[in-house]
Amino acid sequence: MILQTETPLPDVFANLLGLGGFGAVGEFVAALIAAFIVGNVMLAMTGVAGPWAKRKITAKFTDRIAANRIGPAGLGTIPADALRLLSKELIVPEGADRPAWDVAPLIVAGSAMLGFAVIPMGSGIQLADPEVGLAYVFAVASIASLGMVMAGYASNNKYSMLGALRAVAQNLAYEIPLVVTGISVVLFTGSLRMSEIVAAQQETLISVGGLAIPSWFAIVNPFAFVLFLAANVAEVGRNPFDIPEAPTEIVAGFQTEYSSVYFVLLYLGEFLHIFLGGAITAVLFLGGAAGPGPESIGFLWFVVKIWAFFLLTQWLRSAAPRLRIDQLIEVGWKGMLELSFLNLVLTALIVGVVV
Amino acid sequence: MSLQEGDEATPEIESGETELEALLDDLIVDTDDHMNAPAFVIRPDTVQETLGRLKNEAGYDHLSLVTAEEYPDRYESIYHLKKFDDPTDEVSVVVPTDSENPVSESAEPVFRTADWHEREAYDLVGIEYDDHPDLRRILLPETWQGHPMGLDYDQDRPQMVPLREHANPLQDDHRSDTDSDTMFVNIGPHHPATHGVLHLETTLDGEQVVDVEPDIGYLHRNEEQMAQNGTYRHQIMPYPDRWDYISAGLLNEWAYARAAEDLADIEVPEYAQIIRTMGAELCRIAAHMLAVGTFALDIYGDFTAIFMYAIRDREKAQNILEDLTGQRLMFNYFRLGGVVWDLPEPREEFFEKVRTFVDELPDALEEYHDLITSNEILQMRTVGTGVLPEEVAKNYGATGPVARGSGIDYDLRRDDPYGYYDELDWEVPVEDGCDNFSRLLVRMREVEESAKIIEQCVDLLEDWPEDERNIQANVPRTLRPEDDKEIYRTVEGAKGELGVYIRADGTEKPARFKIRSPCFSNLQTLPEMSNGEYIPDMIAALGSLDIVLGEVDR
Repeated sequence: MILQTETPLPDVFANLLGLGGFGAVGEFVAALIAAFIVGNVMLAMTGVAGPWAKRKITAKFTDRIAANRIGPAGLGTIPADALRLLSKELIVPEGADRPAWDVAPLIVAGSAMLGFAVIPMGSGIQLADPEVGLAYVFAVASIASLGMVMAGYASNNKYSMLGALRAVAQNLAYEIPLVVTGISVVLFTGSLRMSEIVAAQQETLISVGGLAIPSWFAIVNPFAFVLFLAANVAEVGRNPFDIPEAPTEIVAGFQTEYSSVYFVLLYLGEFLHIFLGGAITAVLFLGGAAGPGPESIGFLWFVVKIWAFFLLTQWLRSAAPRLRIDQLIEVGWKGMLELSFLNLVLTALIVGVVV
Repeated sequence: MSLQEGDEATPEIESGETELEALLDDLIVDTDDHMNAPAFVIRPDTVQETLGRLKNEAGYDHLSLVTAEEYPDRYESIYHLKKFDDPTDEVSVVVPTDSENPVSESAEPVFRTADWHEREAYDLVGIEYDDHPDLRRILLPETWQGHPMGLDYDQDRPQMVPLREHANPLQDDHRSDTDSDTMFVNIGPHHPATHGVLHLETTLDGEQVVDVEPDIGYLHRNEEQMAQNGTYRHQIMPYPDRWDYISAGLLNEWAYARAAEDLADIEVPEYAQIIRTMGAELCRIAAHMLAVGTFALDIYGDFTAIFMYAIRDREKAQNILEDLTGQRLMFNYFRLGGVVWDLPEPREEFFEKVRTFVDELPDALEEYHDLITSNEILQMRTVGTGVLPEEVAKNYGATGPVARGSGIDYDLRRDDPYGYYDELDWEVPVEDGCDNFSRLLVRMREVEESAKIIEQCVDLLEDWPEDERNIQANVPRTLRPEDDKEIYRTVEGAKGELGVYIRADGTEKPARFKIRSPCFSNLQTLPEMSNGEYIPDMIAALGSLDIVLGEVDR
């Protein structure tokens, strides 16, 4: 069973629209259309997640009702909130470092969008499938740290500065275990190409009473999966690792001074990063877009998986206390790093001996 | 030491008092008799000597309150001393200073808690304290003209201070110290974790707190003066609800009721005492629920499950209080000599409701223990952080759950019994961890004990004969306690020792009404707990103190 088409999405469009004959220009237009569609789907999901799903999920955890005034199940609150946020005054703090302050939200949101370029989303949706896909996605996802530092530094606010410093410290502490755990998957697949990582997980591991259990890496190596999830939650800065924002301590961290559209961008960026984190987890450990049913509904399974990760972050938000920054760094450098290398050695042994 | 050399011993002096007189022999100028304690008048330059002897040799280790007041011919500072081992053993030290040059020695070197109390006395009354480390205004802005509790203060004079003369708390951000290794941050007055309008002037070294100085007074209303303008019988009782407004209203009302009833010699009927006890404990549960919820909020960082669960359970207590008093927040349910009305009809329904609440409480608490106290991350965050050693806590006059979390076995409900507490079966929870976690545990265990008390009260009320349900004593329409009667009485509020000092002058209004706010003293310990710790630990320590700015600022 091969879920991934050989042709990336831009080529599909190029063929459909007959752009193949226009050379580089045609390729560019096709890529633009494809990227536009993928980007908008992702933004639409964050649009649902931010103003509505987040509230509803948290409300369920905490015995409340949440948004229910506009539209069915309060869904109408999404356009209303969008309008509200966009119509707010953009307040620029005195002494802000102007270009950096303006660019930072774009970088935070943009870096996550870039990551989706190489994610195979099933049903043939994948913008590009470079050989170094996994390295690329980790690389662009961590550009967000740069955006946070810029935001924090340029805001001319001490809380923002503290938040930025925390963001850097936290990302350093968690990026390495995250990547090293990701590498353990590469040991299995022997490739950094996303489509091959997904393909490697489609074989049947064992059959229990006619039910084929696929060799998803989450099932093959649950230890790595848990490790990766924890590092990923820290990477996207959610509870219990929402230390760069830490509302009760440093107000809102690096985003304290942002309002209006810039705030929306940062806010969207955060949700995009959660979804990107979910997408990476799905590709590396949960068989990408694999699931019961025909191949063509693969995208639906993919969406289910990334929303499951979103649900996990919201669950943690309702139930887990926040670590202190020094404790987090200790956990990162003294715990996760060792464990991730241990996992790497173990995986290498398994791959070397068993496979 | 020679015994009673220069002193005229009054006939009713107890033996303990004689010993004290012997101890302070050379310092006593005169004696006075407050209703709650013997009072010794001393010279303004012997304050440290006197308090030092009382603390170290006679064991009066708790400076409960410093009251300052102005008489037509003099100023007076009164130091109300107690023992943590036995709060009924009290003594007052009266320090008169002349009205032209009101300078008195500071008690701060002996009792750290005197720092803020004397600043307040300076701010509101105008007495100056020699040797005080930092004698500034504390509740009013620096630019305030005059001392509002002084006799010659003109109430109608507008405080016309141009904007440029106002100290802008945000301007002085110490940015000029270019070589400095530290950073100055204003936490508050508007900040998610300050639980109201509190301003913490914090100096940071990276993520660590070098120094923190609470700046209070944003919610100051001079409740003391408002009380002085009201008549004893009815007009003062609504104010206590507005001190600790976190649904601890009945506990506050009791502080005033206890002082005023003892002052006017009113005996409260037993039936009313049981209702008071039950209502007060319901308030305590409601207050502690909010304390636990907001503490979790400070640690968890979002409106999490625990906060909402705590609010949900608090709501049940609140509903019962609403049935009982007719109000949800500003109860105004106590009257001098009893309570305003009997339990709501039908009584069975009310008892059933209270019983259901009390019966469900252990399960609810179990849920909190699952969610909070047994959570490993929370333990990482709270065990061993915000440490307040026992001796430091005593020195700062910390009381209530803060003191009991530091291993001080001190609860006025048991040690200085009032109401119906001494007839009931319950315990005082004490933890000796001295950290944030201990204070959390104490509050949660106190909720259990309160539930026990309520249950027993309901049993008693249910079996009370119908024709003996006397809810109010016979109190004269107008109360005029005798001139120059002084009393200081304390009760165990939700946050600690809540006291009221009243001096009567023969009229129907008190001549001086002074509030001892537990939060005021407890908040003073914040620097001790957080200096050298990380910012999140300071926030946690602040949350564990469970302050209410309405009570800190009054």
